[in-house]
Amino acid sequence: MNETASLERGYRRVLMCYPKAFRQESGQEILGVLLTTAREGQRRVGLAESAALIRGGLRMRLRLTARPPRAVRGAVRLMCLGALVEAAAVVTIAATAGRVHAALAKAPGLTAAQGHQIASLLTVREVSAGVAVAVWLFLAWAIGHRRDVARFGFSAFFALNTLTLLVALAQHAVAYAPADLIAGAAVWLIALATMVLIFTRQSNAYYRQPARPPLARAAG
Amino acid sequence: MTSSTVYTVVMAERAMQEATFLILTALADGSQHGYGILAEVAKISGGRVRLRAGTLYTALDRLRSDELIGVDREDIVDGRLRRYYRLTPGGAKRLAVEAARLHANATAALTRLSPAGGLVT
Repeated sequence: MNETASLERGYRRVLMCYPKAFRQESGQEILGVLLTTAREGQRRVGLAESAALIRGGLRMRLRLTARPPRAVRGAVRLMCLGALVEAAAVVTIAATAGRVHAALAKAPGLTAAQGHQIASLLTVREVSAGVAVAVWLFLAWAIGHRRDVARFGFSAFFALNTLTLLVALAQHAVAYAPADLIAGAAVWLIALATMVLIFTRQSNAYYRQPARPPLARAAG
Repeated sequence: MTSSTVYTVVMAERAMQEATFLILTALADGSQHGYGILAEVAKISGGRVRLRAGTLYTALDRLRSDELIGVDREDIVDGRLRRYYRLTPGGAKRLAVEAARLHANATAALTRLSPAGGLVT
C-alpha cells in the first residue's frame, strides 16, 4: 500500500507537465492506467514511462489550437531554427570571450579605451542575440497560435534585422568577422523565408477566418 | 457530419502513424477504456507495439479533437474514473481508408516479390 502511495505521488509530480485543463479532465484516468501497468512492488516512476509522459505533456502544451496550414507550420519551424542559430551565436560569443580579451590585451597599438570599447561592443552583441532568441521563440508561439498581430510584429523584427545586416555589410572589414556576417546572413535568410510563408494566400486565409467554435463532443 | 468529412479528406493526405492506426483498430469492434486499448494494441501487434500511458493519452486527446473517436461512457472503478472510448463514424471511415491503403501497398509488395503468385502464402 505504501509503495502504491509513493508511486502515485511520483506519477502525480510527472503529470504536472500536462496542461491543467487536461489534468483536471483526464488526470485520474491516466493515473489509474499508470498504476495498473506498474510492476508488482514498484515504488518509483520508470524512466521510459516518465519520458513518455513528459513528451506527451510538452506536445500537448505546444499543440497549436486549430491546425494551421502547411505554410504557417513551416514558418513556425523556421522561426525555431532562427532561435537556434541565434542561440548558437550567444554560445559562440560566450565561449570565445576569454580568447578575444587575451588577444585585445596583447594587440599592439590598441589603447586601453579602444580595447574596452571593443569588449563592450561584444557584450552588446551577446545580449542582443540573447534577446533575439526570446523574440524568435515568442513570435513563433504567437504566429502558431493565430495571433495576427504577431505577423506584423515579425515584419518589424525582419525590418530591424535587414537594417542591422546592411549596416554590418557597409562596415564589413572594420567591425565584423566573416563568421559573424555569415551567421547574420543565415538568420536574415531564415527571416526572409518566414516572411514569405506567413504572408502567403493560404496563411492570410488562416488568420482571417473566424475563431473555431469549441469542439462538440462526438454525438452519442 | 459534412465538416468532419471534409476534415477527414484533408487528414487523409498523410499516412497514419502506426500507433494511431493500432489505437483506432483496437476500438473498431467496440468501446475500450485506456488500459484495454493498451492491451488490445499489444495483442493486435503480436506484442511488438507496447504503448506507454503518456503516448496513449496524447494520441487519444488528439483523436478526440479530430473527432475520430469519442467518449462512450464513464465508470468509477476502485474510486477512479474509467472512461470508455469508441470510434466515431468519421473515425471508422478514416481507419477503413488507411487499412485499404496499407492493404494495397502490401498486396503490391507481395505480388512483386513472387511474380508467379504461388510463393507467398
